[in-house]
Amino acid sequence: MNCASFVQTEGLTKVYSSGKIQLCALKNVNLTLAEGKFLGVTGPSGSGKSTLVNLLGGLDTPSSGRIKVQGRDICELNKEELAIYRRYQVGMIFQSFNLIPSYTALENVAFPLLFAGVAKRERNQRAAEMLTRVGLYPRKDHRPAELSGGEQQRAAIARALVNQPKILLADEPTGNLDSITAKEIVKTLADLNRNQGVTVIMISHEELLLQEFAHEVIRLRDGEIVDREKLR
Amino acid sequence: MRMSDYIEQSFSNLARRKLRTFLTTFGVVIGIGALVSMFAFGQGVQKNMTDKFKELELFNCVNVFPPTMQEQSQPKPALSPSAALRVNSVEGTKEEPQQAPVLDDDLIQRIGKIEGVESAFAEIRFPAMVRLREKERFSLVQVLPADVCQSGLSKLLAAGEPYASDDANSLIISDSLLHGMKIKDAKTVIGEQVELSTLRFDPNLLSPAAIASIMRGDEIPFSRESYTFTIVGVAERMGFGGSMPVRSDVFIPPGPSEKMKKISLTSIWDFFSAAAGPGQAKGYSMVTVKLSSAKYVQPVKQQIEDWGFKTFALIDGLKEIKRAFIFMDMFLFAVAMIAITVASLGIINTMVMSILERYKEIGIMKAVGAGDRDVKKIFFFESGVIGFLGGIFGLALGWAVGVVINQVANYFLAKQGVPYTDYFSFPWWLCLGAVAFSIVVSLAAGIYPTLRAARVDPVVALRHD
Repeated sequence: MNCASFVQTEGLTKVYSSGKIQLCALKNVNLTLAEGKFLGVTGPSGSGKSTLVNLLGGLDTPSSGRIKVQGRDICELNKEELAIYRRYQVGMIFQSFNLIPSYTALENVAFPLLFAGVAKRERNQRAAEMLTRVGLYPRKDHRPAELSGGEQQRAAIARALVNQPKILLADEPTGNLDSITAKEIVKTLADLNRNQGVTVIMISHEELLLQEFAHEVIRLRDGEIVDREKLR
Repeated sequence: MRMSDYIEQSFSNLARRKLRTFLTTFGVVIGIGALVSMFAFGQGVQKNMTDKFKELELFNCVNVFPPTMQEQSQPKPALSPSAALRVNSVEGTKEEPQQAPVLDDDLIQRIGKIEGVESAFAEIRFPAMVRLREKERFSLVQVLPADVCQSGLSKLLAAGEPYASDDANSLIISDSLLHGMKIKDAKTVIGEQVELSTLRFDPNLLSPAAIASIMRGDEIPFSRESYTFTIVGVAERMGFGGSMPVRSDVFIPPGPSEKMKKISLTSIWDFFSAAAGPGQAKGYSMVTVKLSSAKYVQPVKQQIEDWGFKTFALIDGLKEIKRAFIFMDMFLFAVAMIAITVASLGIINTMVMSILERYKEIGIMKAVGAGDRDVKKIFFFESGVIGFLGGIFGLALGWAVGVVINQVANYFLAKQGVPYTDYFSFPWWLCLGAVAFSIVVSLAAGIYPTLRAARVDPVVALRHD
């Protein structure tokens, strides 16, 4: 496998249909990302950023084009294979954290391991390790409502990484956070990228954060890549 | 996902909405409770009947009728007494011994010699007023030979013992008749004198003048005779009454019976038999043959039929009885199914509500690696857990209902001298079947919500608030 094309899209297009109206969210997006890189994705609302992340995360399927991850075309996977891909290959974090309100931080982090068939004791052990890594272990028994926005997002990061995926997809992870916390979160992602070699693709409106931590930034407008910037 | 995780997840997810889970499960509990109690009642009735038949050895009995008796017992009782007399006398003139064999003592002796026959006796029942301790009750009296009384009835005696000989001036009275006379302690009546007053149809009173008198209400064509007996035993329940499950409350030996003037009730024709002229063959209207084992039923029946008589064995009717029980079970099942159907709708409603509430959670599940199959199983197990809990508690409810009804019924029936009976039967297959059925119904109810949960689009669900 070529490390230079760890994640690759070819002619990626997504069209949403609503009755007779068709909306093209992504148009012919060609993207290549090497392993261990931190890619920033920015652009105005409706430019197709979230659609791109959802397609890369296997949550959605493209209308046309290809997505190759580690050389394998994930567009050819069936539903169950896509679930396995999401379980082991990618971790996702969201603007609204998407933690389960009735679960504690530990239970939320351990949740993906449930679908991996990991025994309960090991699930809790690995979740505790991840919470320690993101500095949230002392808050492990708290429910999301009892955590701050930053803490919730760190719990979400721990959950995304608990299955040790190679790719971390972050859909505006700082959108609901204040600037100081936002910077801490992006720094956490950058540390994971640098120290553990996790490939990070992060959507953000905050150019300054991307400039500070990302290796490369792409800018989308109306579903197309309009600019690429290599930063380091 | 592991099986243990599915179960744990199901319980914890249902525990999140305790009241709703309780109400939904309660619906299933009511349905299964109704099903269990109704089936248990059906089983109880069936078990009681077959057990009682076995206990009374009714399956080892063959009834023998004269050939004409079968024809006469066809439904034509609307004849006036005078018309009936005419028919009887016409038949009497035609009768020839070879063509119409008679059920008499000779035949009873012949039957007694057939292999497998324990005893054979004429079935004689007659109505009488029973007078004891200044109280009088109407009852059916049955004539039972001493040996049959000793072998068949002795097991059912609450007090005393069977009469010793066929000529003893003794009788056995049932506990229920004593209860009817407000006598609670059966033992106290042993040795007491009891008076039986029989009614006898007097054909002489059917002269035109007498009929005119009857029409005016001045006179009835019956005369009353009284006989005194000593009580030697008290039967705790319906005694051995041959293969006809007719309840008799008083049993007397054949000796004194022969001396009594009475109306036999085995057949409507006996009512008029007193009118038979001299020389007319009368015989008994029915003879009961008791066998040592049910295996002799067919050969003995065959032998007796070869002699020109009609026979009936209750064991032949067993298939019909079982078929009747199946219909009863089906009816009870249909009633219980209404409750189960309502409970199923409750499960569907609860599960659909749960999916709507956990819409985003389903999206999260899928985002972190759950497949459609995992989501389906999670919701399917939740339905199954509702069914399991509903089945267990429904079984408990059905059992409790059975116990309460049983106690109440026995409390009231005990006052009438009916011994304690379990009207509900809970065989193991009913208990296991009820829980399994509850789970299956709940899983079936969970199919639609489960498919709906699996179809949730994670992209849409994750945006959902």
